[in-house]
Amino acid sequence: MKRALLFFTMLMVSVTLTYAQQRQVTGKVTGPDGSPVPFATVQIKGTNTGTTTDQDGFFKLNAKPDAVLIVRSVGYVSQNIPVGTSSTVTIALKSDDQNLQEVVVTALNVRRNKNELAYSAQTVTPEELNRTRDVNITTSLAGKVSGLEIRKNNTLGGSTNIVLRGAKSLTGNNQALFVVDGVPIDNSNTNTTDQLKGLGGYDYGNAAADINPDDVESVSVLKGAAATALYGSRASNGVVMITTKKGSRGLGVTFNTGVNVGKYDPSTFAKYQNKYGAGYGTGYGSPDGYFYYTDVNGDGVDDRVVPVTEDASYGGKFDPNLQVYHWDAFYDKSPYYMKTRPWVAASNNPSAMFETAVGTNNSISIDGSSDKGYFKLGYSKFIDKGIMPNSRIAKDLINFGASYNLSSKLTASASVNSTIIDGLGRYGTGYDSKNLMTNMRQWWETNVDVKEQKEMYLAEKRNITWNQADVGALNPIFWDNPYWTRYENYETDGRTRHFGNISLNYKAADWLDVIGRVSLDTYNEHQEERSAIGSIDPSKYSEFKRSFSEYNYDLMLNFNKNITQDLTFKGILGGNVRQTNVNSILSSTNGGLLIPRLYALLNTANPMEAPTQIATREEVDGVYGSADFGFKELLFLDLTLRRDQSSTLPKGNNSYYYPSASLGFVFSKLLPQTTWLTNGKLRVNWAQVGNTAPALYTRNYYDVPTGIDGVPLASVGGTKYNPDLKPEKTKSFETGLEMSFFGNRLGFDATYYKQNTVDQIVPLPVSRSTGYDYKVINAGDIQNQGIELSVFGTPIKTKDFSWTINVNWSRNRNKVVSLPGIDKLQLGDYQGGITVNAVLGQPYGTITGSDFIYKDGQKVVDADGYYEFTNTSNHTIGNVNPDWIGSISNTLKYKNLALSFLVDVRHGGDMFSLDMYYGLATGLLPETAQLNDLGNESRAPLSEGGGIVLPGVTEDGKPNTTRIANEYGTYGYYYNPDKAFVYDASYIKLRELSLTYSLPTSVISHINPFKGVDISLTGRNLWIIHKNLPYADPDDALSSGNSQGFTVGAYPAVRTFGANLRLRF
Amino acid sequence: MKKYIIYGSFAAMGILSTVSCTKNITDLNTDPTKPAAVSSAALYASATKEMADAITSTNVNLGIFRLIVQQWTETTYIDESNYNLVTRTIPDNFWDAFYTDALMDLNEAKKVLEADNNTDATVKKNMLAQIDVMSVYGTSVLVNTFGNVPYSSSLNSDNLFNKYDDAHTIYTDLIKRLNADLANFDESATGMGSSNMLFSSNEIANWKKFTNSLKLRLGILLADVDPATAQTIVTEASAGAFDTQGEYAKFPYSTIPPNTNPLWEDLVQSGRQDFVGSNTFVDYINSVEDPRRPFYFTTIGGIYKGGTNGLKSPYANFSHPGALLEKKDLPGVFIDYSEVEFIRAEAVERGWAVGGTAATHYNNAITNSILYWGGTQEEALTYLARTDVNYLTAAGDWKQKIGMQEWIALYNRGFDAWTAQRHLDYPQLVPPPKAQSGYPVRFTYPIEEQNLNTANYDEAASAIGGDAAETKLFWDKF
Repeated sequence: MKRALLFFTMLMVSVTLTYAQQRQVTGKVTGPDGSPVPFATVQIKGTNTGTTTDQDGFFKLNAKPDAVLIVRSVGYVSQNIPVGTSSTVTIALKSDDQNLQEVVVTALNVRRNKNELAYSAQTVTPEELNRTRDVNITTSLAGKVSGLEIRKNNTLGGSTNIVLRGAKSLTGNNQALFVVDGVPIDNSNTNTTDQLKGLGGYDYGNAAADINPDDVESVSVLKGAAATALYGSRASNGVVMITTKKGSRGLGVTFNTGVNVGKYDPSTFAKYQNKYGAGYGTGYGSPDGYFYYTDVNGDGVDDRVVPVTEDASYGGKFDPNLQVYHWDAFYDKSPYYMKTRPWVAASNNPSAMFETAVGTNNSISIDGSSDKGYFKLGYSKFIDKGIMPNSRIAKDLINFGASYNLSSKLTASASVNSTIIDGLGRYGTGYDSKNLMTNMRQWWETNVDVKEQKEMYLAEKRNITWNQADVGALNPIFWDNPYWTRYENYETDGRTRHFGNISLNYKAADWLDVIGRVSLDTYNEHQEERSAIGSIDPSKYSEFKRSFSEYNYDLMLNFNKNITQDLTFKGILGGNVRQTNVNSILSSTNGGLLIPRLYALLNTANPMEAPTQIATREEVDGVYGSADFGFKELLFLDLTLRRDQSSTLPKGNNSYYYPSASLGFVFSKLLPQTTWLTNGKLRVNWAQVGNTAPALYTRNYYDVPTGIDGVPLASVGGTKYNPDLKPEKTKSFETGLEMSFFGNRLGFDATYYKQNTVDQIVPLPVSRSTGYDYKVINAGDIQNQGIELSVFGTPIKTKDFSWTINVNWSRNRNKVVSLPGIDKLQLGDYQGGITVNAVLGQPYGTITGSDFIYKDGQKVVDADGYYEFTNTSNHTIGNVNPDWIGSISNTLKYKNLALSFLVDVRHGGDMFSLDMYYGLATGLLPETAQLNDLGNESRAPLSEGGGIVLPGVTEDGKPNTTRIANEYGTYGYYYNPDKAFVYDASYIKLRELSLTYSLPTSVISHINPFKGVDISLTGRNLWIIHKNLPYADPDDALSSGNSQGFTVGAYPAVRTFGANLRLRF
Repeated sequence: MKKYIIYGSFAAMGILSTVSCTKNITDLNTDPTKPAAVSSAALYASATKEMADAITSTNVNLGIFRLIVQQWTETTYIDESNYNLVTRTIPDNFWDAFYTDALMDLNEAKKVLEADNNTDATVKKNMLAQIDVMSVYGTSVLVNTFGNVPYSSSLNSDNLFNKYDDAHTIYTDLIKRLNADLANFDESATGMGSSNMLFSSNEIANWKKFTNSLKLRLGILLADVDPATAQTIVTEASAGAFDTQGEYAKFPYSTIPPNTNPLWEDLVQSGRQDFVGSNTFVDYINSVEDPRRPFYFTTIGGIYKGGTNGLKSPYANFSHPGALLEKKDLPGVFIDYSEVEFIRAEAVERGWAVGGTAATHYNNAITNSILYWGGTQEEALTYLARTDVNYLTAAGDWKQKIGMQEWIALYNRGFDAWTAQRHLDYPQLVPPPKAQSGYPVRFTYPIEEQNLNTANYDEAASAIGGDAAETKLFWDKF
């Protein structure tokens, strides 16, 4: 590092200036409309002296009176301005359509003109981002950036999986890093491992949802390692850079109010057959075998009772003339107490439970700025009620930012953001009694009317369920009354977060800024879960508390100096200390509750077990430097180097380097001026990024289970940690071509990249005969290579009308190049014997399980007429990776009216559905009650022409002709291998639609005090144009994390319609 | 200008010194919430509990042995009664319970104890023997479940791909280890003390009996495949095994969760009604008017009625497991006097010198069981006098007589009942009509092994004659 320092010092000396009778000139650079032009270059002609304008277009410079200033900014025509005698100048630049380029916020919050960049970066404007005003900024990014794949759990406030350019880490974090104003923001997900595996639990979302979408000025997505190398370890998965708003000149007030309503999308929820009711077949006692048979009314004759203990729909054929006792006949508050009712399908199937989601958002922001600085103040409140009863998430976001010029050289700035989230009744997930989707998609009686369940619950607030333990019993057997689940077994949670920073910027010279910054990100969260007395699950109350804090200390020197008139130089030398502390404690009652509806730990039925505690401390110390050279706006060379030392790696192996080099070549500068080619740039870069281990990966500790009557217990933990870990490394190469034509009416940005992550730190699932579940190793080489393409165009542009199109397309191919002496790494294991694996030589994310037996490509059917299938479960039956993802957005503007819509596509990728695995077995789906090839009811007995013939061949290759009964399991898991429930997860979605009307300035000018009035109508997830996964949303994921490709108890997609009013004063 | 450079350089040095100062950040990477050292007794006790849980549980993800031997059947979800092992990855879970939760901890307990120089040498020797006996027990359960399993190179994180050892070879080694442990036990000192879990008094004397009883069980299982060795082992072990009414090696569960009998969790705490008596079993104990029926089952309309095995059986219509089974602190049983006596009866029939007559041992076994469950001596006498129970008059050869009664006596000990049934081939159990395999005489290997230890798995599968539930274990010749 010393050598690097020396290098920079030398560099500084070499560019030392000569000073002579200079005086300070201040000025402002504006565009043709008077708006400030930030980051314009102001250079003294014939010298290397220069500066750039600040946020508000101001600059200061020492110059001789005879000097001439050259003012340049991308997108504007350069101008030469003689200084003269005036000490202040105002320079209005003319815009240059030929060279319109955006400003991109790059690593460490450095602003660069896009044309200077030698790596891939894509920006999203706040208009694009917030077009439909989703409360979660992470979901708003879907479809707006090429190479960015977003999957979201459809639960209210659920987490979002955000992966750039494919998964790089086998088992570690693959989530992009969020950075707000240069400060990394924690995006942890505290969901339990059971939740991630689909075994139940709540999805508490991830922490990046705490960012206020109304405070966002711009989003830049830095995809490759070269772009992010300066961030060190955490940026190896790409960075989403968020810049918040700064005050604008004068005083501005913006008020935003919006409301949205959401309806579940029926194409993403189960449909129900309406021919047969409750039961698993015959055998219940009545003469036909479909009903319990007991003397209910005491007349000495046995009566038919619905098999209330059963949670399937392979029962008796509906018959309106057949009077039977239903579940509600045994409850004295019911209108049907001791009365029979006809045996018919329910009028209201479970979809009647979905309520209209309602969200409101209100925000106000005030900002202002002057020569002395700026300030901004914002408050937003979001309240969202979900489609499930008794669900609500409220979010309060407060942000404050200010900057003040203490002297001409010293600027102090601060930014403080506070977020308070209150959650109630998040949806249960996974295969669990608290996830009603598991109940309704897999285990349901088609004769049960969900509205009657609601009335029964509301009547007396008791768990009167359709699924009684016994005929007439008023306690549940497998499923609670769904409304009991929602209103009594609810969770609550909250998170209070503060993040922000204070910084001092000292302009030591025209070409040198010294920036010192301390930033803090801290939050406390709590999660309380309840299971009421009288529920299926043992009664329980648990409380989880977690606190997170991260400090970043930064000291940075920014150099900005032209070496010669044609050779520009920008440099950074900095250091960063990051300290992260996480503490959590989970306490739970033991063996039930004593007092109904008292949810407190003291209500434990037995002495409590020791709480589960987690405490980790991490520190990473980094030093970094960068040198960016520009030659005649033609060639750009960026070099960066960072060294990190991490507390989580063993001594001796704990420091590592990240070098990167990028070269940009604006070849259009060399070409003769043509009318069609506006701009052309070729870029190529290489980087190596290191990554450290998670905390506590180097040493083993013992588990201490609760002692048994005074005898202590201890156990070796399931993971063998590794005292010899090395840092992992990602090597990346990227090359790209950017071109624009016809004055930017048409353009594209194409990128090819290849990344290899080697020496990955992996908890390798191992054969349990080793005594461990996992062994932490350095292993593997995962390669991701892909192509990203963004195309933009403005096919029509007239004075009043314009049409712009943006297309994003990307394909990523990942491959497991090497694994440490093994050929398969298990990423997740699920119910049904399903595993998701990384297999050597294949893409990451292979789904394995049992498969059919095939003969000449046909499924083999055994002598009894059922499919034969493998008795081993290690057959490849799918791959979770999509072939490509893409999106098209269109914006049509006519005068002050704008219509935008975004269509989002994923092509390929597989998904295993546990909902179909069981739902087809229990007979609630329509497929299970169709007519057969003979035109008869397939559920009729074989003797009456019922049954089905499975398509396939017999062992000797002849077409199967053996008819089998259509009964419990025929279509489902029981008689079919896992392969039968793997679906293509492709989709085409109309993701966003918005119509915005801005009141014309001519009107506004008459109505004081408004500066702007915008009215918009929006829609999200309105239409799934195409999909192959039946009854569910292929976009739905269990949670954020690496285990994708398995769906269980999925919630339907929600179509959201909104209206929004924005007033600017 | 110079001064700026100086400032800048100072600042740069400041950065460097801040981040590279001599403090040792690696020390941050320690876990203050967990111990880095624990006692060997605590590791031993945890392992013992895990094994008791695994063989006692009726959880459909783990312990489905009561269903396999058709003592119970399921009410609504009949997958496990029909031998579906895959959906709930039962072999994986059972395998994990023994390797990672039990054998690994025993291995660690041994290491910790060997490094401990503060424990009295005799006590230490006893403790090491106790650890080893439980480890032999756990390994024997694995072999009796799967056949060939990883053994000689297992429990070592350096060996990621463990070869499967030949089951018979493992057995030979287990017997050798038990002999060594027996030689090491010294009654003049204690062992684990209260942490031994199995016996509350006369610790080492009882442990010797337990060890001999276990050796006796392993010995008799070899009877068909290697009669000469089996004879030696059985005659040696019989002399030191349980010999008194009421003796058994048990795991004492607590009334306080989470250390209750796991049966309570599934039968009571869950609120579910998944199990009823199977007609295979209930019909038989009805036919012999077994005095244990009121303890084994509830009545439905005054009679004991089992659901048709493997078909769905509404809970309300059939006999449920009896009240005793719902006790939180019902002990888990590793081996008892009844089982030992049944083995002695068999040994007599095989002409091996264990003393007594087959009928006496048979009667002792049954009487012990009846008394254990709460029956009386009179009931036992009446029962033994029945022609269909009496050893002289009951139907079939000795295998059938012993097999049928051992099946009854090993009620609520599904795993051991399964082992005895496979050994004696009685009762002759018929798979339900839509079973997913033939009658399972072993578990298929875990899916994890198929995926994570593929080459060794393939080799083992072919060595035992195919990884199927119907592949007989090495000792299961007939």
